[in-house]
Amino acid sequence: MHVNELEYVLLNFLRDNPQEITVGDLAAQLGKDQSQVSAACISRPEWIDVREEERLSLRLGKKAQPFVEQGFPERKIIQALDQLGGQGDLNAVAEKAGLTSQDVGQSLRFLKSKGWAEQQAKNLILSAQGKAAIGGSGADEELVKALEKGEQEASHLPQASEGLKLLQGRSGVVEERPRTLRWVKLSEAGKSAVQDGIEVRTQVNQLTHEMMISGDWKNVDFRPYDVSLGTEAVYPGKEHPFVSIIQQTRKVFLELGFEETVSPYVESSFWDFDALFQPQDHPARDMQDTFYISKPSECKLPRQQWVDEVGATHRNGGRTGSLGWRYDWNDQLIKQPVLRTHTTASSIRALAENPNPPRKVFCVGPVFRRETVDYKHLPVFHQVDGIIIDEKASFASLLGTLQAFYRKMGFQKFQFRPAFFPYTEPSVEIFVWSDRKEDWVEMGGAGVFRPEVTEPFGCKVPVLAWGLGLERLAMFRYELGSIGELYRARLNWLKETPLCR
Amino acid sequence: MPVIGIPVDLLLERVQTQPGRQELVEHLQHLGCDVEGYATMRRFACGRCGNLMEITETENPPVVCDRCGTDFKTSPDQLSAAGEKDVVRMELLAVRPDMFDPGGLARTLRNYFKETLDTPSYPSSASDFSVSVEPGLEQRPYIACAVVRNLKLDDDKIRVIMKLQENLHWALGRDRKRASIGVYDLDTLQGKRFRYTSVAPEELQFAPLGYSAEEKWTPARVLAEHTKGTAYARLIKDHPRYPILFDENNQVMALIPIINSEATKVSKNSTNFFIDVTGLEERIVNKTLNTIVTSMLELDPGARLETVRIDSASGAQVTPDLTPQQAVLNPVTAASRIGVPLDKDGVIECLRRMGHEVSQRADGNLDVKIPAYRNDILHEVDLIEDVAIAYGYHNIVPTLVPTLTVGSEQPLETAGASARAALTGLGYLEVLTLILSNEAAQYDLLGRPREDRHVVIQLPISQDQTMVRVSLLPGLLDTLSVNTDHELPQRIFEIGNISLLDDSETGASEHRRLAAAAIGPRVDFAQMRATCEALLREFGWKLETRASQDPAFLSGRGAEVWGHRGEQSVRLGLLGEIHPQWLEHYGLGHPAAAFELHFDLLSQPQS
Repeated sequence: MHVNELEYVLLNFLRDNPQEITVGDLAAQLGKDQSQVSAACISRPEWIDVREEERLSLRLGKKAQPFVEQGFPERKIIQALDQLGGQGDLNAVAEKAGLTSQDVGQSLRFLKSKGWAEQQAKNLILSAQGKAAIGGSGADEELVKALEKGEQEASHLPQASEGLKLLQGRSGVVEERPRTLRWVKLSEAGKSAVQDGIEVRTQVNQLTHEMMISGDWKNVDFRPYDVSLGTEAVYPGKEHPFVSIIQQTRKVFLELGFEETVSPYVESSFWDFDALFQPQDHPARDMQDTFYISKPSECKLPRQQWVDEVGATHRNGGRTGSLGWRYDWNDQLIKQPVLRTHTTASSIRALAENPNPPRKVFCVGPVFRRETVDYKHLPVFHQVDGIIIDEKASFASLLGTLQAFYRKMGFQKFQFRPAFFPYTEPSVEIFVWSDRKEDWVEMGGAGVFRPEVTEPFGCKVPVLAWGLGLERLAMFRYELGSIGELYRARLNWLKETPLCR
Repeated sequence: MPVIGIPVDLLLERVQTQPGRQELVEHLQHLGCDVEGYATMRRFACGRCGNLMEITETENPPVVCDRCGTDFKTSPDQLSAAGEKDVVRMELLAVRPDMFDPGGLARTLRNYFKETLDTPSYPSSASDFSVSVEPGLEQRPYIACAVVRNLKLDDDKIRVIMKLQENLHWALGRDRKRASIGVYDLDTLQGKRFRYTSVAPEELQFAPLGYSAEEKWTPARVLAEHTKGTAYARLIKDHPRYPILFDENNQVMALIPIINSEATKVSKNSTNFFIDVTGLEERIVNKTLNTIVTSMLELDPGARLETVRIDSASGAQVTPDLTPQQAVLNPVTAASRIGVPLDKDGVIECLRRMGHEVSQRADGNLDVKIPAYRNDILHEVDLIEDVAIAYGYHNIVPTLVPTLTVGSEQPLETAGASARAALTGLGYLEVLTLILSNEAAQYDLLGRPREDRHVVIQLPISQDQTMVRVSLLPGLLDTLSVNTDHELPQRIFEIGNISLLDDSETGASEHRRLAAAAIGPRVDFAQMRATCEALLREFGWKLETRASQDPAFLSGRGAEVWGHRGEQSVRLGLLGEIHPQWLEHYGLGHPAAAFELHFDLLSQPQS
């Protein structure tokens, strides 16, 4: 069996000295530091039996000095009383005893408790017991005297218990110090282990390649670490927190059976507005709100049939049964390129390409609005847009789909409120409850596409549609002060933001 | 969206149901109003025209009268405090201008609360007033008018009408362009035969609202000097003649659509009113008149409506025309599109609660008469939404579409996830940078010549964002530049789109790029090359680097990244140590290296 050097001498000593011994004595015998010996004994519980004994030791306290030098005042008082003939006035006693009247006053309770004298008015009268005590010595006095030599075990002092009782009320004369005394001896297992032979081994810090090659690792012990200590922080490479939200969003819609689509950032007014039945004088199309593009200067038009159908729908409802917006629809404005203002442009393109039910399509991507930059707004933000083209689709199933999405994104409480968008009817805004804000927060808009939107592309079944902002989810999840923190990010923030929320 | 404050007392005295404050908010939300909450408004009166203005507790008193344009900075004595008013504040629901005022909103609530299921009706009689529309009004061809008599006003109600007028200008009128409204004290007008015509800018003089009768302004001066003139001049100033409305005595009623005359001003004592709406679209002009007139009638049950004859080249017409719009609704379609268990009677009740008149047809469909003040019903689906709102969105049980479909993701996204796994495994942190950029950052700050293949924004908000990015590298260097206080080395990457002009339908297409950058005392070409090689390896490519002269990199330390895979040899991007000149531009004090790859090429599936 392998042990370190201290263990080696310690175990051998215990084998040669089978009687129980205190750790203190053991350390003294071995000439070692007591705390190291103690730690070594405790670390080998299978070999060394440790018995703990609670002990009380006594020593003189801070207020003991006058008692040691001058004796106890009550003893001086009975001697003085005796000299005064058995009784005397308090002041006279004090003078006789060589004490202050304050000392005498403080001694009265001890004279009384020891039964040596009694006070009657201003006189002290020596009792028979007091007279008998003259020349003797009480347990308290003995104890103080005994402790003059230094700290001692209470159990070694016969007068300790009586003395301590008498000293009650005189704090600081004798201090009581409880401590644990450890007795050690070899256990049976220890005896046989030592019997079988123990060998000393060196301790090392680091396992080395050389030790592995030579096999020396078998002959050394590895110095144990303080495993409770902290270490330097390291961070994994990680995906961006907002990418996590985008990926989670995509995952939710993929799980719900949606196909993913994309569409260009530069979009024609036709797809961004007209195909969605936004009248050409709608404020959302204003230069103040939308980024128009000077290069490319013009978009090509899609199929003429689509352009004609959309135009007719704006003018008078076309074949959709709608009144239409009843204005002079301009088929040149539709070529104006814009940076797409919503991913709904992707949805309507997907619908036009294949209007046949059943289909579920979604798109996640950046959209662009001419917004003044503030903590909540950037000119670029992200949306998830989706459509469900299905004979059996209803407004209720739109609400259910939105609820499923936000549940999976971690929200519990929802409110649906009527809203207005030019391209959906009925229309709805979804609100989620925020515990942090203690209020309902709007997350996005949705609705059933108007026939004026779907029928020009040959779709006659209900189409559920939504466009939901994603930055708002990030602001919630990461408790951001400003949307700008997502871009030009502080690397500290990226490192400290946990992957799992 | 403008916010309106509906006086709570004016609203609640017009309905029997007396909901609690919170309850009222919920009802309004269920109807689609975006309610901000209750507020106590402080009121101020304009001494010149009597206009009442309201401010919230956090706003400053008005500096200019929003009716007559009086400037209270130069004439502070014209502004006086006029008490307080409890209002419920909400954003204007642009599609329901008939709910912009307490009268109109109460009308909606009475039906919604089922206090009555009858459609509100507004009987009218013919007045003997007429307006002749004279030639030369191409800039503003349409006019519709009405007379309202016996309407008792007070300061509150005047304010309601003025505010409604203003909000209708916003919602229906597109800031007076499509429609603008004038309200006059009928008893100040002379004769019965009015004229809507045009005048030359200096042809006549009149005292505009807010100025004493002795002041004489030409239309040109109104446009140049009056606050309302400068605000709306754009609507008429490009035309040689301005639209104007005269009474029979050639007294100016209004310079349209700018300002009324002082002489025809409405006051607290007015009881009879003439109302005109002019504009560019006949339908909007008529709807606007219907909305303001019926809301005015709601203010006083004793008020009476009279029609006005409009004589124009195309014939005579009587306005307002409050004939309901007719529509047919299939109740089964309505219930199934909403997805609620409503039978025909349920649908009928919902429609009536939204103010429509409903009768049943033999074929099971419903004939619906839509009130003339509703402007938002283009199609059956608009009625279906009304049914859904009456039913209550909060009462609809959310479901899911029962049809099974198979999901599929974009191949670029699948590949992106693999690239992300590889680079994060190498200790790189993903960053996002702005898609909008500028030519200096995209070209000059890397020493690259400006090219002509990028998307240019016509009216940028700032000089920082004039184009769509053509490279990810500038964004990465910018990110490093805001992290100079962060420990080194730093390793970052981005997967994102750039846009380039091309011959596609929209004239520009996105291209997926992947860029990575590292900075630190020991960062060099070899390290970056190794990272690039590791990434290419995961996509099946063998890396070859060939010398490049790209000015972004130190001479002799830049390379073209080529990938070889089977028969394929593709130039996949660029790699190198960033030239110290550009590091200096970005305030970076350590060596940095980077690569930028065509991720759409890199991630092509192996053939």
